[in-house]
Amino acid sequence: MSGLGNRICRRGGWQRLVLLLSSGLFCAAALAAPGDSFTLQGFGTLGAVRTTSDHVEFVRDLSQARGATDAWTGKTDSALGLQANWQVNPQWQAVAQVLSRYRFDRTFHPELAWAFVKFEPSPNLSLRAGRLGTEFFMLADSRWVGYSFLTVRPPGDYFWHLPFYSIHGADASLAVPLGEGVMRGKVFYGQSRGNIPLADEQWDIRRSPMLGGYLEYQLGGLQLRGSYANIRFRNDLPLAPVLAKENNIALPAAAAQYLKTRDTRTHYYSLGLVYDKGPFQAQLMLNHIDQGTRALSDSNAGYLLLGYRIGKVTPFVGYSRVRSSERPKPSLGDPLSNLVAAYVIEDSHSDQKTIFAGARWDVARNVALKAQWDGIRGDSSSLFPYRRDDRARWDGRMDVFSVSLDFVF
Amino acid sequence: MRRLFFRIALIVLTGLAGVAHAELVVVVNARSGVAAMTRNEVINVFFGRNRQFFNGIEAMPVDLDDAHPKRAQFYKMLVGKDLSEINAYWSRQVFTGRMQAPPRLASTEEVVKWVAANPGGIGFVELSRADARVRVVYELKR
Repeated sequence: MSGLGNRICRRGGWQRLVLLLSSGLFCAAALAAPGDSFTLQGFGTLGAVRTTSDHVEFVRDLSQARGATDAWTGKTDSALGLQANWQVNPQWQAVAQVLSRYRFDRTFHPELAWAFVKFEPSPNLSLRAGRLGTEFFMLADSRWVGYSFLTVRPPGDYFWHLPFYSIHGADASLAVPLGEGVMRGKVFYGQSRGNIPLADEQWDIRRSPMLGGYLEYQLGGLQLRGSYANIRFRNDLPLAPVLAKENNIALPAAAAQYLKTRDTRTHYYSLGLVYDKGPFQAQLMLNHIDQGTRALSDSNAGYLLLGYRIGKVTPFVGYSRVRSSERPKPSLGDPLSNLVAAYVIEDSHSDQKTIFAGARWDVARNVALKAQWDGIRGDSSSLFPYRRDDRARWDGRMDVFSVSLDFVF
Repeated sequence: MRRLFFRIALIVLTGLAGVAHAELVVVVNARSGVAAMTRNEVINVFFGRNRQFFNGIEAMPVDLDDAHPKRAQFYKMLVGKDLSEINAYWSRQVFTGRMQAPPRLASTEEVVKWVAANPGGIGFVELSRADARVRVVYELKR
């Protein structure tokens, strides 16, 4: 814990503030009167995954620098989280969560996933400020809590373009009973955190402003949600160092200008439908991403997941799809710029479908064992979802085998 | 003769089933002003979707320990879900920082006490346990 503290202290002011907040939380908790006001809870996953290809590396989402190939690895899906909740009084609460999982810098360094204070002026209105998880798409803020969902990992075709996990900012959510159901709305605003790995470099997305919200209606086992979010990137992709190192090319100025991400805004739209009643559960999610930069392609994605519990075992099947639209060919002044720009744009293309099937077995209280097969059937141009692609040999098809042990405590 | 035998067997079996599943009811504090609830309204409160009764009083649901047999029966009858699914639901709510699960008590006797002590208290108990301190607002039917 002190090592983590030191590391956080060496970083910027925001992080220091958050550390202060969370250490305050821990100290306060130690002093708090005995009772139910303080709770410490945790979750974790031990996962192993392998694919049938060594031409690309398979990642859980784009926040991971390296991925799985045709040898088993425990890195991709394993995680451990610890969360402290301190209920100061009925209106005020403080929450801090530390998460360790394989990330952009190829380590499992624990980080403060969230640390915030929550104020509830009335029972159905919640206001939070601090470091917050973002619900970009439905279920996006519980992606690492394997115990909370059916599959080994959230369907990749839908979720891997989402390397954003948290913001420094605030959100407000309000629930209003409507008929026999409940209408719920949430808005959030803040500055994003984190890095997105690009080859050996990092795309720094810190302090990029993010704004979003959703509206959902829940009635019995039915839940319908529409959401929108956008982010305005503060920095350019680290294309120059990546091209210099990987391809020995100097990034021409015209191409750099053409491919800039700085001050461009990307929009995320999604629609989710969940039906969860008795032994049956179904999820249908659709999203559309509208990129402001020419370096990344617009895309449409979706998935359908069906599960049916039989005793302690829930077999499931699903189908997911992602497809990005073609960008017009760059027509810049010089041929080298055109070539480089086209090469980079190709790298953000995705066009594939995945059929997946597996089972979740609730072996003991708060422990689940899962096994899953993913059959990825895509075009050889589908490079965006992966790491370390060997463009010449990748044919767009592979199978992924996964097992995991998920638990909460 | 055979028909009569079947009829008797049916009556005996139904009787046994009735004993095994003593009726569960949802109770609120007698002074809360809530008279009756629908199944969906009960679901909304116990899953933390709606935390207020129609009259503005904060709904304070209370649950039973995981090992208590009535807990499994309650969720089975209310939403047809296993406890592992209920716990998975709450782990999502907790670890996204949205909310904590309702407090859990060891017996339905304690639930009655807790509901009687909190104006917005709401819990589930055997019908036989519901006394004047609480009001039955929903009966769980198979």
